Amino acid sequence: MAPRLPARCWRQLALRPSPITPTTTLPRASLPLPTRSQTRLLSYTQFRTRKSGWSTLPPRAKPHRFNQVTSGLPAPTTGPAAALKRKERTTPVRAGVLAVKKGMTVFMGRTGARIPCTVLQLDRVQTVFNKTRQKHGYWAVQVGMGERQPGNVTAPLLGYYEAKGIAPKEVLAEFRVRDEKGLLPVGVQLLPDWFHVGQRVDVRSYSRGMGFAGGMKRHGFSGQEASHGNSKNHRTIGSVGPSQGSGSRVLPGKKMPGRMGNQRVTIQNLPVLMVDNDLGIVVVKGCVAGHKGAVVRIQDACKKDPPPEDFIEKTRKLLEERFPDAEAHLQAARERHLELKEARREKRIAELMAQGMNPTEEQANAIEQIIAASAREDMAERAPAEF
Amino acid sequence: MSTTPLARRPLSCLKASLRRARQHRIISRHMATEAAQTTASPRPLLGHNFFPLTDRKTKTLRSAFAVYPSTTVAGKKALTPPPVNVLQSLHEAQIKKMDPTGARTALFAKTREAAKVGDVLMVTHRRGGEPFAGVCLSIRRRGIDTAILLRNHLGKVGVEMWFKIYNKNVAGIEIVKRRPKRARRARLTYMRKPKHDMGSVEDLVFAWKRSRKVFSSGKPAAAATAAKGAKGAKGTAGAKKK
Repeated sequence: MAPRLPARCWRQLALRPSPITPTTTLPRASLPLPTRSQTRLLSYTQFRTRKSGWSTLPPRAKPHRFNQVTSGLPAPTTGPAAALKRKERTTPVRAGVLAVKKGMTVFMGRTGARIPCTVLQLDRVQTVFNKTRQKHGYWAVQVGMGERQPGNVTAPLLGYYEAKGIAPKEVLAEFRVRDEKGLLPVGVQLLPDWFHVGQRVDVRSYSRGMGFAGGMKRHGFSGQEASHGNSKNHRTIGSVGPSQGSGSRVLPGKKMPGRMGNQRVTIQNLPVLMVDNDLGIVVVKGCVAGHKGAVVRIQDACKKDPPPEDFIEKTRKLLEERFPDAEAHLQAARERHLELKEARREKRIAELMAQGMNPTEEQANAIEQIIAASAREDMAERAPAEF
Repeated sequence: MSTTPLARRPLSCLKASLRRARQHRIISRHMATEAAQTTASPRPLLGHNFFPLTDRKTKTLRSAFAVYPSTTVAGKKALTPPPVNVLQSLHEAQIKKMDPTGARTALFAKTREAAKVGDVLMVTHRRGGEPFAGVCLSIRRRGIDTAILLRNHLGKVGVEMWFKIYNKNVAGIEIVKRRPKRARRARLTYMRKPKHDMGSVEDLVFAWKRSRKVFSSGKPAAAATAAKGAKGAKGTAGAKKK
């Protein structure tokens, strides 16, 4: 919208040329030019201030006119865009999954090889949310795993899951991806075949907590002598620095006793030995930090090439085949969420609860189809067993 | 009270008629849904329960949220939570793959006929070399990673070796001599002490080979099978070449 002209301009337009003005103009008053100048919009004297003035230019709090793209300057090396660009190579193309460390075992090869391995189980891993560059500043997929009793979930989170149309999750985690191609439909379940055998993954988890540990255990100090006059100082760390002349102080970062473990540890480039959808497991070579039952994050290795294009496409297609109506479900859940939210605000949620869940005609049809199909499958499974 | 929701949602008056139409079409649908819910089979697209939040003091309903089922539906299949004891299933699958006949499993099972600690065993390696014989000091049972510890004397020096029984490098395990009386310990670490050390088992192995007539000039294979038959259950439960 164009800026409004100040009132005095309108006033000047409305006014006729005052009789005083011809005296200020000299003999050429008979010409048409000076008469026009008498009805000018703005006066020559500058009296605009920040308070009363106006301008057609944008406010100059930030000097946008400098350092334009067209000015031929190099691209900035700092700022969000530069940071994303810098991290592009080490950000995985695809989202990762959450898993539970079930324990370690070995993988016996056909040729006598024996490979120690860790079994990681994916327990109902679902995508929950997508984060975008436009809205959040980076691309990421929020993934949830497991199941949590609704009673142990706070009300805000219950509303969050309600809007997504999925059950409350035990753990939520976020996996950054390179660009929008890495985003996933919300509510789909990621199975172990998200990875392929032989690919490299990074596995992150929290290591076992050791509590308050001494210098020998925590940093591998050698301790002190058992004898030669040593008195009750066999496992202490000894001196922590030189005395007068070197400042008589302890240097920052000195290794000392303290809390050990329970830190996030990343094991990079672990090869995947086996994936099994029925057992829901991904078996990786070697060991992974944390106790049995620890939650681990598995993602494509950031220091290796991403999985081949055709494999990524295959996993995408599998997702689409398995969850064709994920989008419709999400949309329906959102609508239902808005309805329930309004009801909660208007204190008539009890009414809706009494009313129960009334599926629409389409949903009723879908339910019937699913039930019929499962019944048919059951029959088909039973039939050969009887013979 | 009843007019308020109608006024707010004028289309909801269609619900009753739709419901009736559906009941007319398939009456058994509700029973089927009930059954499906109890057996945790595929859940409907937007079927959810309500989780009520009650006020602690007044014990009245404060709010309620929709809670969706934790089982996701993939197409026409319900994805149930994965089994809890995966390691066990994984071990079973691996053992089935590495030991299809089940001979090794039977040889170290907890049965009367199986090999036990204190028995003298002989392990043949797939890559050739001299078979290693020794007294079994312990059996470490870890599913696919199950291993045995054999102790022998080679040139008056005690030698102990671990063998993974399901490894393909272990071509055969044979019982050379059984311990006359069952050992009363699970791990016979005391047999490392000079007082209890068995020493070399070379003569035992030699005697066992002679009894199987391996050194006879006739037909070794036939003789061996004959010996095996004569020995019956006592002999080579796990004897297996390749």
